[in-house]
Amino acid sequence: MINASPPALSLRGLVKRFDTKLAVAGIDLDVPAGSFFGLLGPNGAGKTTTLSMAVGLLRPDAGRAWVLGHDVWADPVEAKRRLGVLPDGVRLFDRLNGTELLAYQGLLRGMDPAVVDRRAHELLDVFALADAGRTLVVDYSAGMKKKIGLACALLHAPRLLVLDEPFEALDPVSAALIRDILHRYVAGGGTVIFSSHVMEVVERLCSHVAILADGQITAIGTLDDVRRGRSLEDVFVEVVGGRVATGQELSWL
Amino acid sequence: MAVTAAGAGANDVGPVRGVRAGHFVLLKLRVLRNGFRGQTSRIVLFVLGMLFGLWFAFGGFGLFALSAAHDSEFSVLVPAFGGAALVLGWLFMPLVFFGVDETLEPARFALLPLPRRTLVGGLLAAALVGVPAVATVVATAGLVLGAAVHGGATAAAIEAVGVLTGVVLCVSVSRAMTSAFASMLRSRRVRDLAAVALAVLAASLGPLQLGAVAAARRADLDQIVRIARVVGWTPLAAPYTAGFDVADGLPLAAAAKLALSALTVAALLFWWSRTLESAMVGSVSGGPARAGQAAGWRGGAVEQLFPRPLGFLRRNRSGALVAREVRYWWRDARRRANLITYSVIGVFLPLVINLSSGGALLQGQSGVPRTPTTVTGSMLFVGTLAAVTLANQFGFDGTAYAAHIVAGVPGRLELRSRIVAYSVYIAPLMTVIAVAVAVVLGEPGWLPVMLGGLYAAYGTGLAVILFVSVLGAYALPDSSNPFAVNTGAGVAKGLLSLAGLVGSLVFAAPFAVVSAVAGDAWRWFALPVGLAYGLTAAVLGCYLAGDVLDRRAPELLAAVTPRR
Repeated sequence: MINASPPALSLRGLVKRFDTKLAVAGIDLDVPAGSFFGLLGPNGAGKTTTLSMAVGLLRPDAGRAWVLGHDVWADPVEAKRRLGVLPDGVRLFDRLNGTELLAYQGLLRGMDPAVVDRRAHELLDVFALADAGRTLVVDYSAGMKKKIGLACALLHAPRLLVLDEPFEALDPVSAALIRDILHRYVAGGGTVIFSSHVMEVVERLCSHVAILADGQITAIGTLDDVRRGRSLEDVFVEVVGGRVATGQELSWL
Repeated sequence: MAVTAAGAGANDVGPVRGVRAGHFVLLKLRVLRNGFRGQTSRIVLFVLGMLFGLWFAFGGFGLFALSAAHDSEFSVLVPAFGGAALVLGWLFMPLVFFGVDETLEPARFALLPLPRRTLVGGLLAAALVGVPAVATVVATAGLVLGAAVHGGATAAAIEAVGVLTGVVLCVSVSRAMTSAFASMLRSRRVRDLAAVALAVLAASLGPLQLGAVAAARRADLDQIVRIARVVGWTPLAAPYTAGFDVADGLPLAAAAKLALSALTVAALLFWWSRTLESAMVGSVSGGPARAGQAAGWRGGAVEQLFPRPLGFLRRNRSGALVAREVRYWWRDARRRANLITYSVIGVFLPLVINLSSGGALLQGQSGVPRTPTTVTGSMLFVGTLAAVTLANQFGFDGTAYAAHIVAGVPGRLELRSRIVAYSVYIAPLMTVIAVAVAVVLGEPGWLPVMLGGLYAAYGTGLAVILFVSVLGAYALPDSSNPFAVNTGAGVAKGLLSLAGLVGSLVFAAPFAVVSAVAGDAWRWFALPVGLAYGLTAAVLGCYLAGDVLDRRAPELLAAVTPRR
């Protein structure tokens, strides 16, 4: 990218090995500021591992990551200030209710209590979580947990949102709502990178995509560059190399 | 819910093969083996556990065999008291120190069509396959040898049956108790009842020990033998004394004792199966929370986070951390269980030690009068034990800690807020304990010394435990049982607690030494000096351990993430 401003997220040579398995095998990635970036990949491709290393939750074996020009591992305070994260498969502080959780996140980010109050109200309202009242987050449904997690990531108005599987477990109404919110966020100058394996969502939302398979990026570019006139699903299956049913299997079903 | 083998074919779901206990044992072994794959630290822990087990097994075997074979009253005393101590150990140790190994978590079987009887039998069989159970069998096998010396082959055979019944009793007692307490502490309604029940249990140890020590001090052998015979008829020691009754020519008594043991096991297993079901159904939380309760706002969102008694806290990062921790110590069943267990033990341990002159016994001589020094000694223990509760404080929250990493919470702030929040509960509790002990002993003048010792030990304990909690954190299973630990983690938990306890006591020792040698003026200095000593240690620990935490926050997160 030849650009005056640094990329919103920049990864160079990220490597992570678990025991004997190479989960991420050297990833270089630039997420341009103001883009809506989709990270695609089959199960176990290394999406979560990559994003965890990008936001400072998992120490890479090699490589570096920058958020808007700030090194995540060398200068974490500045990098994390600009970053909102929705991790996947990670618990929230779920013995708080939704309101308390948002207040907690806001104060943890060093925000002014009055601002926290105002934004928490608004977020609970928009995400239709205000009805949950004092229900503890641990008792929320899976979709509600996703929503409150996203609200937590948005609360401090970060410049970069890193979302791991944000649309999983969401019903169509909530999914549409969140698509809408993210769209406006990007239009307002924010940057989103999210992982998914739902093609339609990615096709509908993203300006850029990268396809990850076996810990390596196999295709990257703007949505149209990657698609080249075909459907994203066809490209994905071809690049990843999936197995197609022949009709002989599972005949006893 | 259950589809039994007998009903197979009726609903046309294909042939069903019966599930036997052996399947559970194989499953446990398989899970155990897979857990070791590439996990060097787990293997090391397991080997350490094995070594401990071996040491216990053969040490116990030798002790039991030699003393039981001895031709004297020992053949009455050792099976009775040794057996009872063993069963009581199985009862209390999981609750206090080790937790229960939930390699096979009951909730995972909820969807399988298994009759309750099969499930309980299987889980029991799986629980029997483990280092502690095997070590217990080997150790008590010494009694078989002893019985053989006294009564020949028949007595030995009966004693062997007793030893095997005994280990089943031990395992079922520990499972039934932890499961019952788990389900009680889970429920919002009866959790206070659970605390009382735990207190009564701990309290019942007192009279037992009182009697034992009193008898020992009078050195009236006949009386001790009489007590031993009574204990031998309780379920605690019945299985272990059966063989010796045969040797004494009382086969009927032996048969009755074995029957009593079997009945006890059956009752325990029935109890376990009842609480097991509740654990399988209501697995995550204690029912829907107070959802309907006042959806209205009390102030803004920030005001809602801060508990009312803590309204004075600053509305900033450290205030929020403290407020959240304070809420968590009560709302999280696992933390609450720890808190309650500690408060019960903290109250009864010093009372038992001091009232029964156990303190004198610990000193190695009997008849020494209680002094401020011995009482302070017990206070040191209570204080460090309070800190040890935090040994796996990061494991309690599990992956939720990720939020702190993402928000970039500095390590020192993190640790400081955690100990401040914990002290909100513990400091008043410790003060109450000290006052209670001083009043019961009738020595209110010792209170400053006791409090000083308590705070000094708590502070130094925190300093040591903060390091343990950052460096030795381990994942807790997402189980509804607050006492549950992962495979091998029981050893880790025990070892870390022990290391923390010893380390803390070492650092607190100077205070005890000064107490012992200083004159009367010490009574006035003890409290401020103890406070200052403890505070300095805690602050220093926070400062140094916070640095370590900053350097290895991601590694800590990985350590507390269950089943990576």
